[in-house]
Amino acid sequence: MNTITVNVEEKLFQNRYRVDAGRPHIKIKDADVCTNVCVVKSCTFVCPASCYKVEGNGSVTLITDGCLECGSCRIICSDHFNVDWEYPRGGHGILFKFG
Amino acid sequence: MKKPTQFDAIVVGAGPAGNACAYTMAKAGLKVLQIERGEYPGSKNVQGAILYAKALEEIIPNFRDDAPLERHIIEQRMWLLDENSFVGTHVRSEDYNKPPYNRYTIIRAQFDKWFSAKVREAGALLICETTVKHLIMDGDQVVGVQCDREAGDVYADVVVLADGVNSTLARKAGFHPEIPAGNVALAVKEILFMPEETIRQRFNIGEESGVVMELVGRITDGMVGTGFLYTNKESLTIGVGCMLSDFAKNPNRTSPYALLEQMKRHPSIAPLIEGGEMKEYCAHLIPEGGFHAIPKVYGNGWMIVGDSGGFVNSAHREGSNLAMTTGRLAAQTVIEAKAAGRGYRADSLYTYKKALDASFVMKDLHKYRDLPGVLHKSPQFFTSYPDMVAQAARTMITVDGVDKKTKERAIFAHLRKTRKLTGLVGDAFKLWKAIR
Repeated sequence: MNTITVNVEEKLFQNRYRVDAGRPHIKIKDADVCTNVCVVKSCTFVCPASCYKVEGNGSVTLITDGCLECGSCRIICSDHFNVDWEYPRGGHGILFKFG
Repeated sequence: MKKPTQFDAIVVGAGPAGNACAYTMAKAGLKVLQIERGEYPGSKNVQGAILYAKALEEIIPNFRDDAPLERHIIEQRMWLLDENSFVGTHVRSEDYNKPPYNRYTIIRAQFDKWFSAKVREAGALLICETTVKHLIMDGDQVVGVQCDREAGDVYADVVVLADGVNSTLARKAGFHPEIPAGNVALAVKEILFMPEETIRQRFNIGEESGVVMELVGRITDGMVGTGFLYTNKESLTIGVGCMLSDFAKNPNRTSPYALLEQMKRHPSIAPLIEGGEMKEYCAHLIPEGGFHAIPKVYGNGWMIVGDSGGFVNSAHREGSNLAMTTGRLAAQTVIEAKAAGRGYRADSLYTYKKALDASFVMKDLHKYRDLPGVLHKSPQFFTSYPDMVAQAARTMITVDGVDKKTKERAIFAHLRKTRKLTGLVGDAFKLWKAIR
């Protein structure tokens, strides 16, 4: 497939969120596992909201503000079980206008 | 120690399964509490979305009077696409244009709100903006739920889990393990708004009628999956979904949104969506493991309905109708158990499983039980075959001075090069066996 550059932030900008500031509903359990153990880091391209990013030093950062609450990241981390995944607090997170 | 029961039943989730379940129980006079984590029912829910009338008719026979329906479907298109072309079948009939219509496009946020209003009219109590954290156990019996609000423990005789594909509560309770990536599809979609008149002209449809399109081929970048395009009243829904395990191991590391964007730019698709104003981008998992992936769906004081139990017939792209039917059958189980005073242990709720087995839900899932496995091991159905068909059709149709016999030979030579004859025959047999 020809790689095309897509700015997912532009897509997410159309969505409505109520962010639970300071209380991310998904956490990386052990940052060291992402940096030094996991090679594929598939969360960094499978996440449909691009919440996971690889940094220059190989570490993976997670910002859940744009999360679509699909669950993919938790399921694909099946070698390391390194994703602590909960739904946001009631009323928070993505609020689909159309769904 | 068991706390005093406050409700006959608690339903977790206000999607099609939860709503069907809560509605049916409330209608029968049971005291029902329904808990939804979204701001309003539908705010966490994503679907294509096609509504099959029959399953809803069983619950609300006159739903057409006031349900928010977009368009009834009169035409189904199935396209095989290579890089620059498509070969398609279009099935359209005026028979589909006569009421009562069989299926409709819907917008879930609106539909779920409507369905939820019916549930509350029927007498159920709905609490929104509340996430259920855990099930409350008394020994081996589920006796209630723990919510994320003050004094958030609520008790009931039975808890129905309609909490969606991630099935968080049953997983935490140890009723079933994590769903493997090979048993779920990850789908992304967008809603594109455009004038009603434009949609009618582009798709050759009337004021109320609509078209659904299924797309197979190069658009999924070698992964097992399909694309779709549905006509709503004043918008189009366009999306693509592939097995999550395929996404995770895709050598191109293609992101779902890049896949969707690439599909939108396909020369056969771009003109259909041109000028559409994108108003929302969604992602969702679809449980596609089928019959063999259905977990245990009942136990002491609990039942699982809808996506949470993996009730999706991926071969026919049916989900919400299975959700509503499983919700209704679970509700009937509770109603009967209460009437008979036989309690809510597994040996009483077992009739839910019996009702599922006797319904189209398990019959259809059983019929296609081997299809997910076959397709999963045969990506050629989604890659080289659509390519071959599109190329063959293009070769035969192009008038370029080459005689037709030579063209046929070239097509078959290409076919044999792509896939050995034994492979072709084997694929045909596997597919036939899996869908017959």
